[in-house]
Amino acid sequence: MKKLLTIFIFVLLLSMTVNSVTAMEITFWTHEDPNRTEIEDRYIAEFEQANPGVTIKRVTSGSGQIQELILTAFAANQGPDIFNMSIEDEYAYIANERLAPLDFQAAGYPSLQAVYDAYIPGVLDPVTYKGQLYGLPLELTNWCIFINKKVFRDAGLDPEKDYPKTWEEMVEVSDKLCIREGEILNRRGFDFRYPYYLVAMVPMVEQLGGQLISDDGKTAIVNDEAWLKFLKFMQEWGPSGRNLGSPTYTNARKLFNMDNNDIGMCNTGLYQVGRINADNPAFYESKEWMIVPFPVFEDAVKDVPAAYYGHYYMVNGQKSKENQQMAWKFVAYMLSHSEEYLTKVNIVQPTVELMSSETYKSMPYSDVFTNDMAKGHIVYYGENSAKIQSHVREAVESVMLAGISPEDALKTLKRKVQEVLDEE
Amino acid sequence: MSKRISSYSIERKKARWGWIFVTPTLIFFSLFSFYPIFNALYTSLFKKKLLSLKPPDFIGLDNYSYLLESPDFWNSMRATVVFTLGTFVPLLIFSLIFAVFIMSRKRFQNFFQIAYYSPAVLSSVVAAVIWLLIFDPRGLGNQWLNLMMNTPGIDHKWLAHSVMVQMSTMLVYFWKYVGYFTIIFIVGLASIPQSIYEAAKIDGANDWKNFWYITLPLLKPTTILVSIISMLQCLRTFSTQYLFTQGGAPLAPINVITLNIYHTAIRDHQIGRASAMSIILFVIMMLFTWVQFKTSRADEISY
Repeated sequence: MKKLLTIFIFVLLLSMTVNSVTAMEITFWTHEDPNRTEIEDRYIAEFEQANPGVTIKRVTSGSGQIQELILTAFAANQGPDIFNMSIEDEYAYIANERLAPLDFQAAGYPSLQAVYDAYIPGVLDPVTYKGQLYGLPLELTNWCIFINKKVFRDAGLDPEKDYPKTWEEMVEVSDKLCIREGEILNRRGFDFRYPYYLVAMVPMVEQLGGQLISDDGKTAIVNDEAWLKFLKFMQEWGPSGRNLGSPTYTNARKLFNMDNNDIGMCNTGLYQVGRINADNPAFYESKEWMIVPFPVFEDAVKDVPAAYYGHYYMVNGQKSKENQQMAWKFVAYMLSHSEEYLTKVNIVQPTVELMSSETYKSMPYSDVFTNDMAKGHIVYYGENSAKIQSHVREAVESVMLAGISPEDALKTLKRKVQEVLDEE
Repeated sequence: MSKRISSYSIERKKARWGWIFVTPTLIFFSLFSFYPIFNALYTSLFKKKLLSLKPPDFIGLDNYSYLLESPDFWNSMRATVVFTLGTFVPLLIFSLIFAVFIMSRKRFQNFFQIAYYSPAVLSSVVAAVIWLLIFDPRGLGNQWLNLMMNTPGIDHKWLAHSVMVQMSTMLVYFWKYVGYFTIIFIVGLASIPQSIYEAAKIDGANDWKNFWYITLPLLKPTTILVSIISMLQCLRTFSTQYLFTQGGAPLAPINVITLNIYHTAIRDHQIGRASAMSIILFVIMMLFTWVQFKTSRADEISY
C-alpha cells in the first residue's frame, strides 16, 4: 500500500512538473464584437496549432464594462496578458508603467523603426512613451454621419442633395425629419453620440476656434466665446430649446440599424456598416443608407471633423518575460490579417499597406472616412481624460437639461478642468 | 459550594458551544467587513492612485479636508440626504399600511404578499433597466401619466429634469423595497398576541383605537428595525443612480455619495480620496443608527 502511494505521488508530481514546463496560458480580454469574435477565434486555433503548449483564453465584455474590469484586475495585480481599450482609457496604463514595451522581434519586425514604418505617420504616437512603444493598433476609427435615405424621402427631402453640411443645416434638416407627439420625439432627425464628448463634441468647439487644453498643456478650456457658442448650440438642441434630441433618448446608433423609422441620422464609424449587415441584412442590401462627412459650423475658423481614436492591443508588464513575448507574437499574428479585419469586421488597421490597398479603397464610403481622418486629429488622451470628459458632459447636460445658463456652465467647467490639470 | 461550581461549569459549557457557533460568523465578518473598513481607513490617509506601482504618499487628513471643502462632495451629501428622506419615510409609512391591509384580508393574503414582495427579488440592475425603458420619453411612464391626467404629448422628463430624475430614483427604490419591509411588518404584526385585541374589543375599542393604542406601540421594535435597515439601505443606494446616469440621465442631481465614491475610485483612480469618502459615509451611517436607537428605547415593550 505504501509503495502504491509513493508511486502515485511520484507520478502526480512528475505530471505537474511536465505541465508547468510546457503549458503557457495567455489571457486575452477584449470588448464584444460578434464579427471580430468569429475571426479571432480562428486565429487563436491557428496560433495554438502552430505553437504547441500555448493556450489563448479569450474573454469578451461589454464595451461599457471592460474599462472597469481591466482597471480592477490591474489594481489587484491580476490583469490579463493582452487587452485593448480606446486610447483615452488606455493611456493611464502607459503613464503608470503597467505595460510591457513592444518586443519587435517577437512580433516579427527586424527593428523598432520597421514597426513605425509599417504604420501611417502619427498613429503610434499616443502609445510611444519615453522612447518605447507600448501598443499596436487594433483599429483607428473616426466618425461620420450615417443617413437613412428612406427617412429623408419620407420628409420630402432628397438625401443626396439635402444632407446637412453645416451644424446649422443639421438643425433645420433634423427639425424637418422629426415626428413629434407633443413634446415627445417619436422620430429624431439626428442625435449626438452622448457620452463621447471628447470624440464628437470637442471638435465642434475647435471648429469655432476653442480648445479643450492649451498647446502647452497648462490652461483648460481656451476661448470662452467658442465654448459659449457651442454650449448655446447644445442648449438650443435639447428639450428646452428646439427639442431635437436629448441624452435620455435611446442612443441613435443603436436604433439606426433596425430601420424602424425612429432615427434619420447618427454619428458613428465604418464598423457600423458591418453591424448593419449583421443586424439587418435587408436594410444593408437595400443600400438605403449613405455616409457623409462630419458637419462644420457656418462661421467655423477651422475645418475639424470628429476626432479619431484608436484601440491598441497592449501587453501586461507584470507577466513573465516568456508570456510577454508570446503575447506580442500572438498580437502580431492577429494584426497580420488587416484585410480580413476590414472586410469582415469593418475596422481599419492603419498600416501603410492596408490604407493604400484596393480592398480599402473599394470599401463603400471609405473615402468619406479617409478624407475626414486626414483633416482630423487623435482624441485628447491623458492620465485624466476620463475625468475631463465627465466634466464636459456635466457642462453640456446642465445647459440641455438642468436649465443652467451657458455662462455659468462654462465657469464651472473651466474651474473643474483646471483643477484636474493642476493636480497632474 | 459544589452547587456553585456545578452551575458555573454548565454555564461555561453553554458559552463554549455558543462560541463554536458564533466563531465562523465572526471570522467571516472580520474578513469581509472589519478588515475592509480598517483598510479603507488606512488608505484614506494616503494619496494613492489605483494604477500606480509607486508607494503611496502619506498625507494624513488632507483627503478629508479636501472633501469638506469640495462643492462636488457637498452636492453628493445633498443628493444622498434628499434621496434618503424622500425614500425612507414613504417606505416606512407605506410598508406598515400595506402590512396592516394584508393582515386584515381574510382571503388572498399570500397573493398580496407575493405581489408586493416580488420586485425585491429582482436584482437592482434588472429593476433599473426595466424602469429606464418605462422612463424613456416614448415609454410607458409618459403614456400612462398622460392618459391619467389627459395631457397627451407631454414629456414629463423622468430622466431629464433635475427634480424629476431624483423622484424617479426614489420611485424605483420604493417600488423595489416596499414589499420587503411589508413582510417584516407582517411578521411583527403576527407576533402581537390576539388576546390583547380581544380584551380591547370587550372594552369597546374600535379599529382605529386598536391600531393607535395597541398595534403601533407594540410594533415599536419592528418599526425601529425597519427604519434602521431602510435608512441604511437608502444611504448606500448605488445601482439605480449608476444605471440611470449610464442611460443618459444628468449626473449632478443624483450623484449620491456611493456614486461619487465609485467615480473617484474607478474613473479618477483616486483610491485614497474614495476611501476617505467611504469612511465619512460609514460615520454618518453609524451616527444615524445610534441616534435612532437612543431616541426609540426599543426595550420598553412588554405584553
